[in-house]
Amino acid sequence: MTALDTPPPPVVPRDASVVLTKVSKSFGPLVAVSDIDLVIRPGITALLGPNGAGKSTLLRLICGLAKPTTGTVWVAGGNPRFDDEARSHLGLVPQQDGVFERLTALETVRLAATLSGLADPEEQARRVLDTVELDAELERDVGTFSKGMRQRVKVAQALVHDPSVLVLDEPLNGLDPRQRHHMIDLFRRLGDAGRTVLVSSHVLDEVERFGSHVVVVAKGRLVAEGDFREIRTLLENQPHRIRVSCGQARDVAAELIRLPTVIGCEVVDAETVELTTGDVRAVRRQLLAICQKLDLTLHTISPLDDDLESVFRYLVGDRP
Amino acid sequence: MSPVRQLLALYRTLLDQQLTKSRLLLIAGFSVLALVLALSIGNQVEPEFRIESVVGFLSVYGLGFMVPILSLLFASSTLGQLVDDETLVYIWLRPNPRWQLALAAWAAATTVSLPVAVIPLASAAAIGTSGQTDTVVATGLSMALAAIGYSGLFVLAGLVFRRALLWGLVYVFIWELFVARAGAGAARLSLNTYPHSVLARMTEIELPLAERSMAAGLIVPPALALVAVAATAWWLSRAEIT
Repeated sequence: MTALDTPPPPVVPRDASVVLTKVSKSFGPLVAVSDIDLVIRPGITALLGPNGAGKSTLLRLICGLAKPTTGTVWVAGGNPRFDDEARSHLGLVPQQDGVFERLTALETVRLAATLSGLADPEEQARRVLDTVELDAELERDVGTFSKGMRQRVKVAQALVHDPSVLVLDEPLNGLDPRQRHHMIDLFRRLGDAGRTVLVSSHVLDEVERFGSHVVVVAKGRLVAEGDFREIRTLLENQPHRIRVSCGQARDVAAELIRLPTVIGCEVVDAETVELTTGDVRAVRRQLLAICQKLDLTLHTISPLDDDLESVFRYLVGDRP
Repeated sequence: MSPVRQLLALYRTLLDQQLTKSRLLLIAGFSVLALVLALSIGNQVEPEFRIESVVGFLSVYGLGFMVPILSLLFASSTLGQLVDDETLVYIWLRPNPRWQLALAAWAAATTVSLPVAVIPLASAAAIGTSGQTDTVVATGLSMALAAIGYSGLFVLAGLVFRRALLWGLVYVFIWELFVARAGAGAARLSLNTYPHSVLARMTEIELPLAERSMAAGLIVPPALALVAVAATAWWLSRAEIT
């Protein structure tokens, strides 16, 4: 490491845990992250973006796992790529499934605790396995675990040294609803306790449960940052398309088109109608009334553009 | 916490990843073949040519084939497997100096390759020469030097190359077996020439590639391993981790 390799330290706001200054990352001609300035403070910050938006690359840059093509990354007092002290403050749940297949959960977490220099790795490993509701006495190798159990091992190894900055890349993947609830609760508690928790997700509803501060990334760029409710409102103001399956599609469409909340309506087949509306909640209520009136059973109401791809196209002004 | 404890934790973890059933079977296969061939050669040749024949066989089969291949298999996967299954991140992100991981990887690889090289091949020397002590010691020492050197080299290769096994085989079969024998300059860049020289000088039997001094033969393989460990640590500090 030469002096030339060390970028000058960025100007760091006093309460910041993570500071990215003009950070870009390219892989050959592909620009994965482009010119991002970001300050992350203690509490939960949700990193939201569609698949391929650059979320994982951004998290890897924050953890020092990748070297920025340009710009600087500062985490808890240093550059985690070269600074052991900065890395000692980091905990990471990576997106990939890879775990030490031939170690037990206790061995995996104990290794993390030992390498972090904890005084009593065994005790700390047992404590954190209990926190993620895994049995420390389980003799099975992690390689035989279900995806949800592996995910909890990954969370446990990230938490074992009580890091001040916790980076979670799609941490709820593979967890059942009860475990998801438990993990979200755990992350919120860590955020409330003053830890910096940066959690990425491509599931809008999941992010809503994490907390209010959201960073939105699309096509490698930071496209929105702020309170989740404001972004949600922004999204809700755009027209939505919905598919309704309830039988007698023509009759239902005739009723729907009369509603002031419905902008457009199309009969797909004898059972299905697709409509465009600016007020999804109102249409849902009105659909129930229509089905009651026509004596129909409402089978499904499914959004056609509530996926994040549509959301981000909207946010970056590239609407479908 | 002492760095030694962290080093040992890394070493145990990496060593544990090494020993799979299929690899143990492969070791057994190579070892049995060495013993059978040495016994067969020892029985077939006249007593006065026995040592020369057995040493010649061990230099080709042991130093040219078995030790490099088994070292390649174990050493290249020590860190290479962590890269392939994306578990290196769990170790890399911890606040430990890179040399610890590099040293632990080399030590884990050598822990397997050293006995695998020394025990069956020294036993083969003993069987083939009816227990001729100098030959057994020379065989054990030269195989150990080869295992130490190759382990360092291939730990680094496993980290640097995506298809380390393939590149390692190219090095062993193309460079060591053919190119290195073609000229003195190329031979200097062959690790195999150093343990070959130790085996030849200790047994006083002429072997191809055995053109180095005894001192060079004893010093270069461990020195090469040390350089490889340093290079591995350097690579770990610069590489992008997935």
